[in-house]
Amino acid sequence: MSATPVLAANSVSMVFGGLTALSNVSLRLQEGQILGLIGPNGAGKTTFFNCLTGLYSPTTGNVQLRGQVLPTDPAAVTVAGVARTFQNIRLFPSMTSLENVMVGRHSRMKQGPLASLFHGPAYLKGERDARDRSRELLEFVGLGTVHDELARNLPYGDQRRLEIARALATDPKVLLLDEPTAGMNPQETEATRQLIFAIRETGVAVVVIEHDTKFIFSLCDHVSVLVQGQLLVEGTPDVVRADPRVIEAYLGKPPDEVEAEVRQYAEEAAHGGPESTQVMQPIRDQDGHEGGNR
Amino acid sequence: MSKPTNSVTGSVAIPPGLARPLGIGGGVLAILGALLPWVTFLLNDGAYPDKATLQFFDAPYAVSGFRLHVLLLGVVAIVAHFIPVPLRRVLRALGWGLIGVAAVNIVFPLVDGGGFGAITSDGTNFAFGGIVSLIAGIALVLAAKTGPLEPVPQWKTSVPTLVAYAVLVVSFVALLLVVAMMLNAGGQGGVGNPYAGPIFLSLLAFLAGVLGALHGIGLTGWISGLSDKHKWFSVIVLVLVALALPFTEAGTDYWMTTAANIGVYAATAIGLNIVVGLAGLLDLGYVAFLGIGAFVAANFSGAAAAAFDIELPFVVAAIIAAVVAGIFGAVVGSPTLRVRGDYLAIVTLAFGEIFKKAAQNNIGGLTGGANAIPNVPPINWFGASFDESLTIGSLELPSGVLYYVLIIVLVALVMVVFANLKNSRIGRAWIAIREDEDAARAMGIKTGQAKILAFLIGATLAGLAGAVFAHKTSTVAYDSFQFIESVTLLAAVILGGMGSIPGAVLGAALLLVLPEKLREFSDYRLMLFGLALVLIMRFRPQGLVPDRHRRAELADEGADGVPIEELNVHDTPGDEKAVTR
Amino acid sequence: MATLLQQLINGLVLGGLIALIALGYTMVYGIIQLINFAHGEVFMVGGFASLATYSYVLPESWRDHGHWPIALPLMALGGAVVAVVLAVAMERLAYRPLRNAPRLAPLITALGVSVILKEAVRLWYPGATAPVPFPRAFVDEQFRFQLGEGTVTIGATAILMIVVSILGAIILQTYITRSRMGRAMRATAQDPDTARLMGVNPNRTIVLTFTIGGALAGLAGVLYGIHITNVDTEVGFLYGIFAFTAAVLGGVGSIKGAVIGGFAIGLIKTLSGQYLPGGTQYDLVWIFVLLIVVLVFRPQGLFGEPERVRA
Repeated sequence: MSATPVLAANSVSMVFGGLTALSNVSLRLQEGQILGLIGPNGAGKTTFFNCLTGLYSPTTGNVQLRGQVLPTDPAAVTVAGVARTFQNIRLFPSMTSLENVMVGRHSRMKQGPLASLFHGPAYLKGERDARDRSRELLEFVGLGTVHDELARNLPYGDQRRLEIARALATDPKVLLLDEPTAGMNPQETEATRQLIFAIRETGVAVVVIEHDTKFIFSLCDHVSVLVQGQLLVEGTPDVVRADPRVIEAYLGKPPDEVEAEVRQYAEEAAHGGPESTQVMQPIRDQDGHEGGNR
Repeated sequence: MSKPTNSVTGSVAIPPGLARPLGIGGGVLAILGALLPWVTFLLNDGAYPDKATLQFFDAPYAVSGFRLHVLLLGVVAIVAHFIPVPLRRVLRALGWGLIGVAAVNIVFPLVDGGGFGAITSDGTNFAFGGIVSLIAGIALVLAAKTGPLEPVPQWKTSVPTLVAYAVLVVSFVALLLVVAMMLNAGGQGGVGNPYAGPIFLSLLAFLAGVLGALHGIGLTGWISGLSDKHKWFSVIVLVLVALALPFTEAGTDYWMTTAANIGVYAATAIGLNIVVGLAGLLDLGYVAFLGIGAFVAANFSGAAAAAFDIELPFVVAAIIAAVVAGIFGAVVGSPTLRVRGDYLAIVTLAFGEIFKKAAQNNIGGLTGGANAIPNVPPINWFGASFDESLTIGSLELPSGVLYYVLIIVLVALVMVVFANLKNSRIGRAWIAIREDEDAARAMGIKTGQAKILAFLIGATLAGLAGAVFAHKTSTVAYDSFQFIESVTLLAAVILGGMGSIPGAVLGAALLLVLPEKLREFSDYRLMLFGLALVLIMRFRPQGLVPDRHRRAELADEGADGVPIEELNVHDTPGDEKAVTR
Repeated sequence: MATLLQQLINGLVLGGLIALIALGYTMVYGIIQLINFAHGEVFMVGGFASLATYSYVLPESWRDHGHWPIALPLMALGGAVVAVVLAVAMERLAYRPLRNAPRLAPLITALGVSVILKEAVRLWYPGATAPVPFPRAFVDEQFRFQLGEGTVTIGATAILMIVVSILGAIILQTYITRSRMGRAMRATAQDPDTARLMGVNPNRTIVLTFTIGGALAGLAGVLYGIHITNVDTEVGFLYGIFAFTAAVLGGVGSIKGAVIGGFAIGLIKTLSGQYLPGGTQYDLVWIFVLLIVVLVFRPQGLFGEPERVRA
């Protein structure tokens, strides 16, 4: 860990009215890394995400992006270069796909109220650039054909991908994905895995929360396990997978059984044959029931 | 394939086999109904309805007024069976139009003309016309329920520019003629003319039926698509067409004044639409900004009761009024930084009441209190006083025409502001906030700033409208700016469709023209507003002219909000034939 | 001194009234997060309904002073029953269909309902275009104290108002914390979905909430009528706003908060009318200023819990 990590959480604790949701959680994300965050139901993963993105202000500790402490304001965090998706999809339902992504461009566009009023040449150019970039991103996540479809009318898997495109539109240095494959079938899950690799190729570091351990172990360079608000184990997938505490605390199954399952998945992933895999049923967080539409 | 269709149509299930008998039969009945005698009776002056006693055998071609409308609806309903159109959509619209026309012309004589006898007999004849037409309408609606509604066809908007221009000009001119016809229908309401209301409502029902049918075949969607594409051309033509209104039959002093009032309210409603429709913030004290603009302008108008003994040119005063209102808007909006949605509505309501109280008590000597600020002089440019009539060459234009022109320009300006903002980075941010505030923040939008900006711009536009209002009404009194006026403006926005510009204008127009036409029901005005708010929220929350996003939603849904995919499951071969025939 | 004491008493009386209405606001908001704009009008209708009970239902011989122990409860019953029917009908017809609609929809509906109710009474209650007098010589005992130079007056109706509001709040609090239905209400308020899973019928609890709120508002209507000795279509909006302010001040969802908020608003209104510049012309303005300040600086109110952000 010699280089400055692109994203660092330093001893983040979060207390809600006497209830400790997170205690002393630290995390280092290196450039070009894909980091997985796993943990059982209610372990505080989403709370931790909310601390990383400035939605919550940690009780103690702080979050740094390339050495700079991040403010606790979601908009400012996004401007600084950390983008996120939500566990329960939160698109702008009655905007089109393209408009959703263009909202993501908001903080990278310069036009103020007056320019927006008069639509001068510079304004129009900015608008065109934003549209072009947004189209590119829709292509990139595989939604090239549904520009003008309302977000709410997209199939579930497409909505998740649209959320990723929208987050990428903010030109992030770090992308935080909250359960990107929840509710997806195996084909979609595999496509998402390839998409995350492709995102890494563009120089964006990624943090992923997932319940699907096979998915995490086959995707990530580094895995952190959160249990009851504390960091239990971290390391490469191999290290984490082999750690009996993880298997005990998180999976609640006899170690050898899980290990066999995990090993099998890793082999399959290595041979590029996900067809026969069974995806573990995602376990929903407590607040998972709140839908995207109000 | 042949599942029962009752899950689609809701409560009533009509066998598809009845589609043709009901549809064509309904059309024939409508024609018959138009030609049969309708009721007639005398109020103060003249028989109602106009030419209602026409006898089928005496003069079959002398049908006019609403009976002509019934006839037309019937003919179109029959013709629609033999041309390729989304039949059930068209029949549904025509049917409701027929029901509306018949109901108005049955209920009015029933209530005002002496009971049931009045609608069934006319001297020695049985006046069945109304009832037959009503049944015809119901038959058409039932025919539309024999299957799922067809999707609205999308016509290609990639036509040669010249063709598009021609279509737009024709459409807008047609719109002008319709507006003039509506304003003129039945004349102005009041004690002297009790027929104005029903004649107007009947025409409204007919037009609604026709527009519904045109929408059903995709024509209105096509035209609005074209006007979206040629935005600037549309704006210019629309302004020119609006300026032509004084030259039509509606070009009277009375309607010029009413139209100018509509314009002031429409401009204010569009401003409110930025706050409510785009940013999704409910403002219940919005009329205060109109009031602030009006009082500022009045105080700089040189009126005797003004606080400042100074007469500024109107344009300067209007700009000051807009700026002052805008500042207040930002102040009122600033609690949005901390206050959540519906609490904010209460803050705005509280502000509106504080403004009213302050104005009522003549705060700082600026509002005249209960005495108001009377005798605000009319605007005077280049020696032309705006409240006098205007003579161009040999043409004498009605008084108030200059205000009308000024207000058309104002409304056009406000429309352009709205449209430009809506399709911009700021507008997208507002809509994002409306849809999901947390997600909007996660996209890097500074939601507090954006919301205050919405309040500021909305208030500025209202202040500008207020300046015109002050000169036009000549008396600025605190009681023109009560809570209920805010509700009226909100009703205009919601009736027309949140976030939609034509909607705000249409809403303001309806809410101001209807009371003029229905003077004898003026006591019920507020109650009808209340009822309208409740019913629209329940049955048509997207309003009469939905904004593009919401329109897209609608295009994907059937009559009862059933998604199209679900509808297709129940599609039967018979239905397809009906569509493509 | 006497003036101050008199204004304090007046403030408490007004506060009791506001508290009764505020309870309905706070309970409904607590359970379905709706500012039920029309609640003030329910109170107004309650007043008119009790007057109608007196004028059109009670036998003429009961309308004198001596019969008040029978007549007054019957009037209260009439007012409360009509208010409850109205509140429940409102929920069923206007709000329930919109439960999953965007947030603005029920709020705008509530606004519309409020306008309808006010207009309906104004148009259709005989003489309601102006304030309609309540029976005067009905409960009119006045107690007077000499205090220094001045006199302090407390009417029997004033005492009734304070007693009823405090009793009402205590009974309500007990009901909500102790009874089975009360538990169901609290559960639904916290998490409707989970409550449903636990076998609570959310519709029943919501109807119950509207029932209780309506009954209290109807009761407030009667008390207002006999105390002020007239009732007027304008009071619904005005007292609705007062009561809403009280609910917000106390912390929306909190029974205790609504009562304390109600008394606070009552006192602020009478005291500011007496002692602040502008007098009674501006008392409303002070209340609104307070409302805005509270919403901005302590949106959860004095006794409410801060809302957790969800993501």
